[in-house]
Amino acid sequence: MAQRTHEVRDPLHVFVRYDEDEKRVIESEPFQRLRYVHQLALSFLVYPGATHRRFEHSLGVTELAGRIYDVVTRDDGKMSSTARALTPKPGDREHAYWRATLRMAALCHDMGHLPFSHAAEERLLPNGWDHERITWQIVHHPLMGAVWSSMRPKPEPDDVGKLALGPRKVEKLKLGLSFEPWEAILAEIIVGDVFGADRIDYLLRDSLHTGVAYGRFDHHRLIDTLRILPRPPQERGESANEEDNEGELTLGCERGGLESAEALLLARYFMFAQVYYHPTRLIYDKHLVDFLTAWLPEGRFSTEIDGHLQHSDNDVMTAIIASAADADAPGHDPARRIVRREHFRVVYQRRPEDTGGATKGIARAAAKEFGEELVRYGASPRRGEPPDFPVRDRDGRSVSSLSSSDVLGKLPASRDEYVFVDEPERKKAKQWIEKEREGILEALTATEDEQEEVNP
Amino acid sequence: MSRLGQEAILAGLARRLDEQGSWSGETHIQKSTYLMHELLGVPFDFDFILYKHGPFSFELRDELGSMQADRLLERQPQPPPYGPRFLVTARGRELEQRLTQTMSRYGPALDWIARRIGKRGVVELERLATALWVTRQQPDAGVSARVQGLTDIKPHVSGEDAMSAIEEIDRLLVEADEVAAAA
Repeated sequence: MAQRTHEVRDPLHVFVRYDEDEKRVIESEPFQRLRYVHQLALSFLVYPGATHRRFEHSLGVTELAGRIYDVVTRDDGKMSSTARALTPKPGDREHAYWRATLRMAALCHDMGHLPFSHAAEERLLPNGWDHERITWQIVHHPLMGAVWSSMRPKPEPDDVGKLALGPRKVEKLKLGLSFEPWEAILAEIIVGDVFGADRIDYLLRDSLHTGVAYGRFDHHRLIDTLRILPRPPQERGESANEEDNEGELTLGCERGGLESAEALLLARYFMFAQVYYHPTRLIYDKHLVDFLTAWLPEGRFSTEIDGHLQHSDNDVMTAIIASAADADAPGHDPARRIVRREHFRVVYQRRPEDTGGATKGIARAAAKEFGEELVRYGASPRRGEPPDFPVRDRDGRSVSSLSSSDVLGKLPASRDEYVFVDEPERKKAKQWIEKEREGILEALTATEDEQEEVNP
Repeated sequence: MSRLGQEAILAGLARRLDEQGSWSGETHIQKSTYLMHELLGVPFDFDFILYKHGPFSFELRDELGSMQADRLLERQPQPPPYGPRFLVTARGRELEQRLTQTMSRYGPALDWIARRIGKRGVVELERLATALWVTRQQPDAGVSARVQGLTDIKPHVSGEDAMSAIEEIDRLLVEADEVAAAA
């Protein structure tokens, strides 16, 4: 019997619809907690509108993942024979199982986030732990087990977890699981580098709430043109016949969607610099981590699920405000910097000619000169190279996106890196770095070579 | 291994593959790195997972992206429909020259892998790397069990091709021991 459908208004997708089984997940404690975890951590101190939460983002990812699934599993008459053999047909039980499991995974994919999302993750969890590992634990926790057991068909927690994390994280967490080709495509629908619903939703949603228009792109057109495509030939002499390529399939798009895909990747590039790794946001993250290290018992978040569920941005923000007002409270200094906007200022930004490690080396040297407590280093992660995905050309061939697009191959991959110093030291530190930079970098290169040759 | 050393070895690999006339795309770099790690014990700091095209490391993909950002490698797009090639830049060659001890230590391994792998097609490389993956997963299994294992993972590979890949991996394991012992 068909399940009752519920709907909720959403500023991005107008309506997000979900069924009774999905409602049980939404009403679970781990999902409700996401109402109190900001999507962009302390970015609301830079962009006042950025107060949206992981809750609505997770609903949005679920909506988009369902749409993408419906598009790519529909046989448009041009589906290749290997794609047709791999893809369950609409109406089949298998099709329904994977659609439901995919949407469950989309709902669950952010459940493991700490307060203020990524900001505090690296230093405040034990080695080998991150929010994805906590997500995996929550999906396998008795709390969610009770939710899964109430459903028919019951989703396998391993299937939900694999699709929510994707192969990159499964590799990193050493879970010892492999991905069947179909599972790999489903994981791409949620966490894929190019067409993942997670990325599509967060770029559009963050753009909407921050007011930074660079994050917009035509996601309706993009989703309509997504297809499961054979891998294009990688080198001259390799057959373009997919049977000869052993039927390897992946998510790609029709030629008509290439501009939308380019726009998505450009949006990501701009949003990285403008929003996600805005220097002021980066330094607020540092002050937040300093506060949490002083405030949390033993300076760490709990990896126990019960403990994890007790913390959200709300109790941490309350503690920050209290500590800022009390000079004797743990974490008073970083709390004061956050609440009174007395954050450190940028004194050096990575230059194009700097090699990896140069900015960090300058930060270390500045810390020696001005004091460890007055200097911080902050950086975006490596952006990674623009991904190569298949494009179904107008003649039906599957071709490399990098060979079809003049834009994708030119997207810069460099990371943004900064040295920050306490405001009263800013002018002096800037002058000192300008004067000492060459010498610091020369000494750094010599040390790196020496270390490398002694301990390869 | 330090990140700098790892980058110098990857730059050396891209250069040697190009000199051997290899296409030197991402598949070549991925599979060569996996084979060097598993066959010759080159201590790369990458984890590999069995993914769509055989053993694959997302960490290595990130490292290749980072090396482009640092202008040590460049990814050269090719005419449709083909995928891009990786070429080492002048700056990448300088890095190789700077780390002389590292490059002399791993030079024989790089020369060997570039000779053995460079001119292979990507489909063949994927079969070979997956054959090694199966062999590592079932170290005590005979040839026929591993052939079965390979075709279970990659149903599109014929039994004949799977047999050929497993037998070649057994030969390469012996040869690699000799290369590693001589280094």
